Amino acid sequence: MTIASSTELICFLLLGVGVVLGSIGVVLLENIVYSAFLLGGVFLSVAGLYLLLNASFVAAAQVLVYVGAVNVLILFAIMLVNKKEDLKVIKSLRLRRILSGGVCFGLLFLLVRVVITTNWSLPGPVAIGEAATERIGEHLFTDYLLPFELASVLLLMAMIGAIVLARKDVVYLESTPESDLKQGLIEQAQPTLLADKPTNS
Amino acid sequence: MSFLKKVANYAQEALDAANYLTQGLAVTFDHLRRRPITVQYPYEKLIPSERYRGRIHYEFDKCIACEVCVRVCPINLPVVDWVMNKDTKKKELRNYSIDFGVCIFCGNCVEYCPTNCLSMTEEYELSTFDRHSLNYDNVALGRLPTSVTSDPSVRPLRELAYLPEGSMDPHNVDSLKPRAGKLPAEIIQGLKETDSFSEDKQELVDDSENLDTLGSD
Amino acid sequence: MSAGLDLEFSFSQVLQGLGLTPQLAHLLWLPLPMLLVLVAAVIGVLVTVWLERKISAAAQQRIGPEYAGALGILQPMADGLKLLVKEDVIPAKADGMLFTLGPVLVLVPVILSWLIVPFGQNLLISNVGVGVFLWIALSSIQPIGLLMSGYASNNKYSLLGGLRAAAQSISYEIPLALSVLAVVMMSNSLSTIDIVDQQNGAGLLSWNVWRQPVGFVIFWICVLAECERLPFDLPEAEEELVAGYQTEYAGMKFALFYLGSYINLVLSALLVSVLYLGGWGFPIPVEWMASWLGQEVDTPVIQVFTASIGISMTILKAYLLVFLAILLRWTTPRVRIDQLLDLGWKFLLPISLVNLLATAALKLVFPVAFGG
Repeated sequence: MTIASSTELICFLLLGVGVVLGSIGVVLLENIVYSAFLLGGVFLSVAGLYLLLNASFVAAAQVLVYVGAVNVLILFAIMLVNKKEDLKVIKSLRLRRILSGGVCFGLLFLLVRVVITTNWSLPGPVAIGEAATERIGEHLFTDYLLPFELASVLLLMAMIGAIVLARKDVVYLESTPESDLKQGLIEQAQPTLLADKPTNS
Repeated sequence: MSFLKKVANYAQEALDAANYLTQGLAVTFDHLRRRPITVQYPYEKLIPSERYRGRIHYEFDKCIACEVCVRVCPINLPVVDWVMNKDTKKKELRNYSIDFGVCIFCGNCVEYCPTNCLSMTEEYELSTFDRHSLNYDNVALGRLPTSVTSDPSVRPLRELAYLPEGSMDPHNVDSLKPRAGKLPAEIIQGLKETDSFSEDKQELVDDSENLDTLGSD
Repeated sequence: MSAGLDLEFSFSQVLQGLGLTPQLAHLLWLPLPMLLVLVAAVIGVLVTVWLERKISAAAQQRIGPEYAGALGILQPMADGLKLLVKEDVIPAKADGMLFTLGPVLVLVPVILSWLIVPFGQNLLISNVGVGVFLWIALSSIQPIGLLMSGYASNNKYSLLGGLRAAAQSISYEIPLALSVLAVVMMSNSLSTIDIVDQQNGAGLLSWNVWRQPVGFVIFWICVLAECERLPFDLPEAEEELVAGYQTEYAGMKFALFYLGSYINLVLSALLVSVLYLGGWGFPIPVEWMASWLGQEVDTPVIQVFTASIGISMTILKAYLLVFLAILLRWTTPRVRIDQLLDLGWKFLLPISLVNLLATAALKLVFPVAFGG
């Protein structure tokens, strides 16, 4: 065994342990903030696994998107609404737990079955390493153009939804003073939610 | 069209902002080449001006215990401790004290003292570990401060208005060189030499202009 | 392009000459550049701190540090030493583990990003294919550390500072990435080496700053915001938040934050010079000068000369930018949080998108000038 391959094995084991323990922690920990931070750790370990697979672009994208954006947003949401309140007592908790446990184990069983029955071709195709960036770009704009565009439409929809939700809040705030005239103006302005706010200049 | 106008306005504003920012940067950059005004305090000290209102000096022997200083003081601060000597029918002063933790150094007591036993010094280093040690009795009040110019461990620096004409840096200034402009005594001397009143006035105006230019130098 | 000075190759040649296997030689080589860059980063920070203090003093007509070493040059060392021996305080109701992990998460990505900073053709730790993208990805880890330390301090100022820092770095990451993308589009590569090579065809005239003036300004603004430098230092605004997420920190943990912010500043300045100011390139290409003097580029003397010029040019450009950042610090007032987010989302984002589109169009129209 060469130095390189043993280093790789050690890294793989560490990252694997990180992913598994981290995910278990995310699910089982009582403190939701710990869960969120652990989720970041899991994302990082997954990025490390990608690096081991010679997919540095995917690894960097994983870090950028999942750690830098998704996880930070999750943390933001948690920290902005971090109210300590007692959970309501849920009826028939035991039954629910059994049911959800059953669903989870069913999924696990399915996955394990898929892993066993799939005919893995080992060793797989040779990793193209640094050329992957270009290859991903080519694929995105040829074979996978439709999913790519659909994803962007999805994001656009989410963005418009967020803007509408945020704007409603503004309208509500402005309608609190008891001036009917102003309220009328706001109602008029409502169809053009995305238009520019009239400025003073 | 209005959209284009908006874009043009926006671009104009952005350019203006950049312009102002550049001006600000130029000002900051210009400051880099100016002389530091730092006075390295325990080693260098500014010479206080002639009319500096520092710690008050008091001469016990001159005092007649009239208590005028107490009356003119905004907070009646000086403590004059005297007894009436029945035999001589005169006030006999025992103690006199001023608490400099409370004094505002307005100088009223010095102004009104009939015997000039009170005077202002140039001492300003009054910090103590205990505020009660700021309460000076007649012995402490009678001490003269060490002058900045005579202290061998201190390098005295002249303030900007007291520098000789043309020099900006108080370091390496010849201590014998007189300050720019005239001293008040010299102005009065000048006034006495000229007889006519209108000329007096002219002289005053000249001097004030002279002083102004000195200040803004 | 010439290969330039290849230290790794020479090093492993020497070791193999001593009878070691190539693998072992590589293993021995690996820690050397890392150590060197770590030391370089720390020295860079010391110099930057000293410069910051001296230039700030000059801008305010003060003298600045004077007694620690000649011209106070040892003052940053003294500061560091003081922080090293200070008591390490963890507030009673703080979350000890997250409190300790926070500063580490802030510092490590920044130091890792030095991986991609080139000082010459072969003078960088690793020519990673994803290059600048790696830097962008790594710098996005930072807000997690900031949020962590803000949360763990159990202090309202810390939490607010942490949230502000995270909001700020998320909003400025996008225009930053877009302006980098425009540069990448012109050089057809994410690798920092290729980006610099592409700029050094005609010396000063071929620097990216002429082809990407808007991108340069956007990038500089975003970098200042990412480093939390004035006018964007809201996360640690003294007047409002005491010291933001650093409020509860003392001793070595505070030093980690301090070190992180200054390493980030130097790193950002280095990257600006790499992306827009021709990196290690001399205003007149060294190849031209060599040919004028009738020298071969590959001779050892010229190689050493080129390498030293490259290193000094990179450092010079970076420190000019650091100087500009310090000057800006004493010129501009701090923006409000709403102004900050407005600037990020409503000004820089659209402009950087337009810049990207314009770059793409120009690349199609003038493939010669814009890297076809």
